[in-house]
Amino acid sequence: MRRLLAAATGLALLAASACSAPTPPRAAAVSPTPTGPATLPAPTGPHPVGTTALYLKDTSRPDPWNLDAEARELKVTLWYPAKQRDGQRAPYMTPKESELLLRGTQITSAPYDTLSRTRTNSIKDAEPAGRSLPLVVLSPGFTKPMSTLTSLAEDLASRGYVVAGVDHTYESYATTLPGGRVAECLACDSNSDPGFGAGLVQGRAADVSFVLDQLPSKWDGAGRIDRSRIAMVGQSIGGSSAMASMLEDPRVRAGIDMDGTAYARIPKSGFSRPFMFLGSAQHVSGGPAPTWDRDWKLLTGWKRWIVLSGAEHQSFTDTPLLSDALGIKPLPGVLPAARAAELTRTYVAAFLDQHLKGRRQPLLDQPSSRYPEAKFCPETCAPS
Amino acid sequence: MTAVRVAAAGLALLLAAACTAPPPPPRGETGTAAGTVCAPPKGAPGKETATTIEVVEQAYFCILGNYHSGATPDARSLLTAGFTALTQELNRNGRDLPDAVMPTLTGDLKADWAAFETAYRKITGQVPDLRDKLAVAALEAIVAALDDEHASWAHDVGQPPDYYDGDGYGLGLEANVNASQADGGLAAAVPPLFVTTVQGGAAQAAGLRPGDVIESINGSAPFIDGKATRAIAALYPRYPQARPVELSLLRQSTGRRRSVTLQPGLFQRDLADLQVVRSKPLDDIAYVRVTSFLPDSADRILRAVFRLRRGRTLSGVVLDLRGNSSGSATEATRLLSAFAHGKVTAYHCTAGDTCQSLRTDDTVELLGLPLVVLTDRGCASACEHFASAVKDLRAGRLVGTRTAGMVSGPAQPYLLTNNTILNLPAEHHLGPNREVVDRIGVPPDHYVPLTPEDAAAGRDLALAEALTLLHR
Repeated sequence: MRRLLAAATGLALLAASACSAPTPPRAAAVSPTPTGPATLPAPTGPHPVGTTALYLKDTSRPDPWNLDAEARELKVTLWYPAKQRDGQRAPYMTPKESELLLRGTQITSAPYDTLSRTRTNSIKDAEPAGRSLPLVVLSPGFTKPMSTLTSLAEDLASRGYVVAGVDHTYESYATTLPGGRVAECLACDSNSDPGFGAGLVQGRAADVSFVLDQLPSKWDGAGRIDRSRIAMVGQSIGGSSAMASMLEDPRVRAGIDMDGTAYARIPKSGFSRPFMFLGSAQHVSGGPAPTWDRDWKLLTGWKRWIVLSGAEHQSFTDTPLLSDALGIKPLPGVLPAARAAELTRTYVAAFLDQHLKGRRQPLLDQPSSRYPEAKFCPETCAPS
Repeated sequence: MTAVRVAAAGLALLLAAACTAPPPPPRGETGTAAGTVCAPPKGAPGKETATTIEVVEQAYFCILGNYHSGATPDARSLLTAGFTALTQELNRNGRDLPDAVMPTLTGDLKADWAAFETAYRKITGQVPDLRDKLAVAALEAIVAALDDEHASWAHDVGQPPDYYDGDGYGLGLEANVNASQADGGLAAAVPPLFVTTVQGGAAQAAGLRPGDVIESINGSAPFIDGKATRAIAALYPRYPQARPVELSLLRQSTGRRRSVTLQPGLFQRDLADLQVVRSKPLDDIAYVRVTSFLPDSADRILRAVFRLRRGRTLSGVVLDLRGNSSGSATEATRLLSAFAHGKVTAYHCTAGDTCQSLRTDDTVELLGLPLVVLTDRGCASACEHFASAVKDLRAGRLVGTRTAGMVSGPAQPYLLTNNTILNLPAEHHLGPNREVVDRIGVPPDHYVPLTPEDAAAGRDLALAEALTLLHR
């Protein structure tokens, strides 16, 4: 086998095949003029939405990426039902975060601060409302700040959920920490290492358990949370982290993996809490990325595997909603941004309503004529 | 030529690892594609389909259009090699045919291909159940006929269905004759055969330990008259190979002999062991172990050294490159740039000896520290590029054993229509003195081989020698 170098050049390709589809650079599809700042779609639930940020420090373990940091620092963004609709809208991200994200993703078709001017629907530090609210932990994809799931977070909060979105420090191009420090993507240095994904999701599970431990003492509104009703939802490796967290922490009762290659090792005896795979064609049964096929057999409780026709990896995030503002023409054949957001919000909320609110959702039992894009795997989806 | 398949399968396991970030743009080792018959893959290849005669045709013309590393391949010799393998495969299946006769070739590329394809169709028309097997055998042989270690065809790259990121597949052990040697570099293997690492799986369950001498494999001797035998290859089964492997073992410390039967399979590995760059201070020496020159590895290594330097006066660096079997020339050159400036680290040359020099990046800060590099037969490819540059440029000293001699040149992947990958080197590699390193390897300045006794005791004499040299 004197063919190591030759084989190694195929490395990026092979590695990519094991991964969830990466963000396409799409430089070739740039349209001439960005349209100006984006406005996120209005939340669909009845409640106004408030948002606030918490900064937590776990001194019980060193940071997994920054060897000079003796504690793991985390930023948690909360979205929650609020008393009032008026007040200052929360910023989407800082200009610096926007710049680091665009630079990291190699998007040069719009000014670097563009994303910081995105208009959100949540009121900054609004007074929370409601009681006995279920909690949803959100975890973003690798290199992506938590804010890239804002559209979903705001919608869930408007439907009566408290959402705790975790910025897993050093796993994103930009996380602003107290004192204006900006943590960049240290984990990006080693993401080609074997076992990288498996290690990362274990770290995220520890992050999530710490957030659940700290929430009561760190947020004034925490008394409004029903701590017996907690779920976790994530995109890409954040989705795989949902399973990793559930395996580690019984407080997380249900979970959704949105288009994430699965890294967490499920015991051979199986796993019985409710779990849903929601993905793009990359994750059809028998497709090129077989980790969902592997884990599907090990899920012994309530489970669904839904693939959205026309979805791509970012369809479950805000990215398509921001394309016009960035001057990026959508790829042909891909779900329009508004439709992708609607489908994501609808199926995620249906799952959470069924498992955290105890409201049965026929939408999850069979294909729907309103949402013909949703294919139920493994029965009615196959590689194209 | 199972080698290619084996290499590819191993890599798939190893590399399936990473995830989700946008894949880094290919660097260094990849050249630009030429020709229209085949193109580099864009993104992850789709699901593999059967190898048809059309795929063989595509690969044949892809080679003729894009292989520039060595002498221009003789098209007729490629087709002859392909046909030879095809008749051997017929024979192995007990299905030889009276008209399985090599067609006459004229030297006209297209006409010769047409003649080959006609003969293939005539044969497979009579043994339709062997059709795919014969095409695979022919294509493997055509690629092997290039006699270039970096020319390969990756196919049947399957993963065990229960594979999780970071898992290994096999018996769960490494021996002093490593997997790539066992596959094609037996000539350099030295007796006795012994376990160097127990990784997990069957080997761990059976209580194997480093230093255990392997006296026989499936009843066959690993060495006959001091020469390694192919029996050693059975130590490294690759998925889907799953036949149990019987080993006779001698533990020298106790004199105890025993037999174990190891079932190949997936095994869980320690995630910390899989990190490609690891570092620690050994008193005033920065020790950095690097298992692959993956993208960004040079910067990771240098950051690790700078970190160890903070609050400490370092008197040297040990780079442990044992078992470092792959990576990018860009990283090797970048790393060398921390130890020497204004130098050429290697040449990449076409068949016509038009050479491109790989120069140090003199924007990289010089460390200004003495360097010792630990090498062994597992140091291949970019690792040898680095080792030969260290030696030729006197940037440091090499301790251990000779490197693998597997550095033919940077390869370009091409996607075939059945979603398999053909890797073809565009250029061949030469060291800083324009010497050939491929097949020969780089000899250490200080020869310190590993013995079973040292492996059993966990003694690392090569590292000890490195520290002595740096403290002298």
